Amino acid sequence: MNLTLFTLFVLLTLGAYLATRRLFLTYRHPLLNPVFLSTVAIIVLLQATGLTLEDYRPAKDAMTFLLGPATVALALPLYHNRQVLSKHALPVLSGVAAGSLTTMATALVAGRVLHLDDGVLLSLGPKSVTVPIAVEISRLAGGDASLTAAFVVATGMIGSIAGPTLLTLCRVQSPVARGLALGTVSHGQGTAVALLESETAGAMGGVAMAIAAVFTALVAPYYLPLFLR
Amino acid sequence: MVTNLIKITWQTVLLWLVFRLGVYLVGALDLSLPGNVAGMLLMFALLASGVVQPAWIETGSGFLLKHFAFFFIPISVGLMSFGPLVRKSGLALLAILLLSALAGAAVTGISVQLLQRRREP
Repeated sequence: MNLTLFTLFVLLTLGAYLATRRLFLTYRHPLLNPVFLSTVAIIVLLQATGLTLEDYRPAKDAMTFLLGPATVALALPLYHNRQVLSKHALPVLSGVAAGSLTTMATALVAGRVLHLDDGVLLSLGPKSVTVPIAVEISRLAGGDASLTAAFVVATGMIGSIAGPTLLTLCRVQSPVARGLALGTVSHGQGTAVALLESETAGAMGGVAMAIAAVFTALVAPYYLPLFLR
Repeated sequence: MVTNLIKITWQTVLLWLVFRLGVYLVGALDLSLPGNVAGMLLMFALLASGVVQPAWIETGSGFLLKHFAFFFIPISVGLMSFGPLVRKSGLALLAILLLSALAGAAVTGISVQLLQRRREP
């Protein structure tokens, strides 16, 4: 492993993150997604300098070391929202389950109609779940982690940009329903947008994100193969 | 600053231990559940039962969740090995992602609102 290259990659990734995060916090536009912009910047730089993904991998492994503990940390917001959760248990659980099953089924059926490979379909399956969990579900199912990560980020952007308008068109006014819908489909990014609408919507977004993750992890191994050849 | 850094470090160690325990349990019990999800459920159970006080992990969790997005950048860079796929099926993939996200959001939103109305007429 090349130590200079390793250090440069870590600094580059950190710098890209901090710069794009500042940009996003200043303008708050969903298209200024820090993950998306940083990824594009790093890929362009790697391509331009003739470096490959193999050169980047040691830095990548070191930087994602804390992803496991970070996922465990998601238990805390879930714990803080346990009262909202138990008050609306039935609509929450059935709504999140219905939404998760619909979003997976739509993606896989559309993917088959458009003749995508099974590997791509399996990577699409868990795309509405927060990245660390989606990546694991995808790996267990036989998909590709990077591809899934990209789908998750794209889904987060799509849901947080188009979701609120769609819900208004469908006459979904209840903040509980809006927050749940955004969190179920667009995980963290959807939750962030729900939080801008109201505190209740934001809390429900967080709850939905956690439940959708657990629910998808439990059903995906049995549900996804139904849509394959 | 330094106290905070120490707090974040040891709280992250605690989170990491629960994460490893989750991974271990999934392996030992042969569950088809990601280890990190098992760890998260385990942590929720520890908090709900009062074994772990929220204050024990508040600072570390807050820090990790605030910078959650950072971890996804190195993973997404892996996408550069999919250039041919994106060139070949990029538009189809975009259409699928859009359709699937909108369908899921509509179904969740409408079903939750219907269930709420039924319970609170």
